[in-house]
Amino acid sequence: MAMKNKLASKHSANGDRSQNAASGTKNREAESRNRGVRTYTIPDYRLEHPDLSIKQHIEKDDDGAEHMRYEVSGNLDAPVPPIRDSKFLDKKQCVEIYRWMLLNRKMEVALENLYKQGKVVGGVYFGLGQEACSCASAYALDKDDWFAPMIRNQGALLVRGFRASDTMMQYMAKADSPTHGRDGTSHFGDIEKRNMVSPISMLGDLIPVLSGVALGARLQGRNIAALTWIGDGGQSTGVTYEGINFAAVQNLGLVLVVESNLWAYSTPSEMQYRVKDLAERAIGYGIPGVIVDGTDACQVYDATRDAVERARRGEGPTMIEAKMMRMKGHAIHDAAAYVPKPMFDFWKKRDPIVRFENYLIKDKKWLTAKENQELILEVERVIEAEREIAVNSPMPTPESAEGGVYCENGCHEIKPKYGMPKVRTGKGAFKQTEAAVHLK
Amino acid sequence: MQLTYLEAIRQGIWEEMERDPSVFCLGEDIGIYGGAFKVTDGFIDRFGAERVIDTPIAESAIVGAAFGASLTGMRPVAEFQFMDFIGCAFNQISNMVAKTHYLWGAPAPLVLRGPSGGYVHGGPFHSQNPEMWFVHNPGLKVICPATPYDAKGLIKAAIRDNNPCIFFEHKYLYRRIKGEVPTDDYVVPIGKANLVREGSDLSIITYAAMVHTALEAAEVLKKDGIDIEILDLRTVSPLDREAIVQTVKKTNKVIILHEHSRTGGLAGEIAAIINEEAFEELDGPILRIAGLDSAVPFSPPQEEHHLPQVGDVVREARRLKTY
Repeated sequence: MAMKNKLASKHSANGDRSQNAASGTKNREAESRNRGVRTYTIPDYRLEHPDLSIKQHIEKDDDGAEHMRYEVSGNLDAPVPPIRDSKFLDKKQCVEIYRWMLLNRKMEVALENLYKQGKVVGGVYFGLGQEACSCASAYALDKDDWFAPMIRNQGALLVRGFRASDTMMQYMAKADSPTHGRDGTSHFGDIEKRNMVSPISMLGDLIPVLSGVALGARLQGRNIAALTWIGDGGQSTGVTYEGINFAAVQNLGLVLVVESNLWAYSTPSEMQYRVKDLAERAIGYGIPGVIVDGTDACQVYDATRDAVERARRGEGPTMIEAKMMRMKGHAIHDAAAYVPKPMFDFWKKRDPIVRFENYLIKDKKWLTAKENQELILEVERVIEAEREIAVNSPMPTPESAEGGVYCENGCHEIKPKYGMPKVRTGKGAFKQTEAAVHLK
Repeated sequence: MQLTYLEAIRQGIWEEMERDPSVFCLGEDIGIYGGAFKVTDGFIDRFGAERVIDTPIAESAIVGAAFGASLTGMRPVAEFQFMDFIGCAFNQISNMVAKTHYLWGAPAPLVLRGPSGGYVHGGPFHSQNPEMWFVHNPGLKVICPATPYDAKGLIKAAIRDNNPCIFFEHKYLYRRIKGEVPTDDYVVPIGKANLVREGSDLSIITYAAMVHTALEAAEVLKKDGIDIEILDLRTVSPLDREAIVQTVKKTNKVIILHEHSRTGGLAGEIAAIINEEAFEELDGPILRIAGLDSAVPFSPPQEEHHLPQVGDVVREARRLKTY
C-alpha cells in the first residue's frame, strides 16, 4: 500500500481517498469499522525525522524570581544523515549550487561586518542555515519562471542574477541600490529580466501575487512556474490561505516552499500551528505536498524541480515543506536567547554548506580539498569586490525622495510579456440588460 | 444613444475587452451570473471563461492575483461585489499595489471596481463610500463618476491607465439615471473635474450621487434667486486643484458636499487646498455637508437622517448666501 502510493505520488494529488481497508484485512468487523475512512499521502523524502519538541518551563533563579524558558526534548544526539544523490543534478550543477550557497553565506558575513562598522541603515536579516533552501530551489527555475524571495532568501537573489552589491546597497540605503534607496533588505524586484516580484514586509501577500503572475502568463499562452517561500510563522496569515486556495482552484503553477525553520521571531512552531507537519496543509488545499530536509541541497532541488515541471505542464501548484532551523535571531539585534542551546548544537551539525562540502569532497570526490579552497577563496574575492563597490557608492540626494508615485508621462510601456493573448472571437454583440437587482 | 449609468460602465468594459486582449475580468459571480448587479452580464459568453473569471470569496487573493497578472503586462479589472468589502483586501491594496511603482518601479495597471453608496436601505455593509482610505494612499487613483457619459469614459480611461485605479460606481445611480453616451470610442481624462452647472452666487463642489442632489437643490434655490455653480470632481484622487480654485475665484463662496462621513472626509482636504491656493477669494467660511460620523444605519428613517439630502443643501446654501 505504502509502496504503491509512493510510486503514484509523483503525479497524484493528495486527497487520494483510498479506503484504509484496501490493504487486505480479512476481518469483516474491521472492514465495516474502517469503511468511510480516508487516507492521504504526503511523501517525506528526509533520511531522518528529528523528534525535537519545545515546552514552556518555569525556572526560579537564586532570588526566587520566576523566568519562563523553553526546554527542548527529543533525540538530540541523532547522527547526521548523508546527502542522497539528486535525481537530476550532475557534478557541474552540484558545484554551482555549492558555490551559490558559499556566496550566500559570505555575503551575509560581509553584511554583518558592515553593520558592525556602522555602515548599514537599520537591521540585517540572515538566512544562516537556510542557504540550501534558498539557493537549490531557485536553481531549479528556468529563465522564464518567476520568483519572489522572503527576507531570508537572499541567496536566491544571487542565483537569479542579482549581484551581492545589490543587496549590500539595499542595506546601506545607497542611491544605486535597486530601489535607489527607497526600500531596504530584499525588497526589490525586476519584472523585465530576472522576473522577480518585490516582497513587502507583510507575510503571505506574495502568494496570491505569484499565483496571479502564473495566471497572467497562462492568459498569454504560457505555463510558467512561480516560486516563492513562506515561513512557518508567515503561513499563519489569512492571505496565505487565500493565495494558495486561489492557485489551487485555478490550477496555477505556484511553487510554494514552506520554510519550517522552527522559530518565527521568538515564537516556536509549537505555538504557530497544530498539524504535525505543515505539508499536511496541502491536503486541505487539494494540492500535492512533500517534505524535504531543508539542509540537503539535493532534496530541496529535486522537490522544487518536480514542482516546477508540474507547473510548466499546467498541473497546478505544489507545496514543499523544507525542514531546518533558523540559526540566528530574527534579525541582527536579536541574540535568540529564547532558543534552547541544544537546538543550536543539533542543527549546527546539519549546516547545509558543511554537509554539501562533505558530499562533494568525501562522498562524490567531485572536488578535491585544494579545489574547494580555491573555490572558497574565489567567492571571498567576489564578495570583497562587491563590498568595495557598495561601500564606495553614494547616498541618495534628499530630493530623490520625490517622484515616481505614479507611472506617468510614458515612463513605462506596458505590454504582455509572453505575447499578446490569443482571445476567442465569440459571436454576440453587446446587448443592453434590464435585469433585476437584489437591492432596490 | 441613451444609456443607464450601469449600461454605460458595462459598455465601457466590454469595448476595452474587445479592443485590448490584455484586459480581463475577475471577481465573485461575474461569470455565469453576470455580476451581482449585472455589470458583466453576457461577458462570459462573448469573451470566454479564461477572461471572465469567477473567483473564490477571497478579496486579498483577488487583488493580489490581479496585481501579479498586471506584472506580466495584463490589464485586469477586478470586481468587488460591494465596495464595502474592499476592506478585506486593504493590505494588498495599500501595501502591495499602491507602493509598487514608487518603491521598485513596477507599474500596476489594474482596475478595482464595484458598487458603493447608500440611499438603497442597504445597511452598514452595503452602503459604504470607503474612498477616503484610498485617497489617503499615494499611488492610487480614485474615481467616482456621476453620469453615464463620465462613467463610460472614465472606466475606459482607468483600464488604459498604467496606474492602479479604484473605480467607485454609485449603486443608487446604476439604473436610476440615463444619459447621452456617444457610440464612438472616447475617454474622459482622469483627474479632471467637470462644471455641470454654471452659477454666480456660490459653488457646490461634490461628486457621485451628490451631484444629482446638488442639481435638485439648485432648482429649488433658483426660486430664491440663488444661482448655484456645481463642480463635479469626477476623480477624487488626484484632485483637480485648478478647477477647485477657479470656481472659488468665480463665486467666492463654497459648499463641499460628500456622502461619506464628515470627520476625515474629503471636504477637509478640499478646504485645506482652498485655504492654500484661494484664501483671498473667499467671502465666507467653507461649509461642508456630509454623512454623520457613524456607520450607515439600515432603517429608512435613520438612513435618511444620516445621509445628506436635498433639504440639507438648500438650507446650507441659503445660510452661506446671507453671510
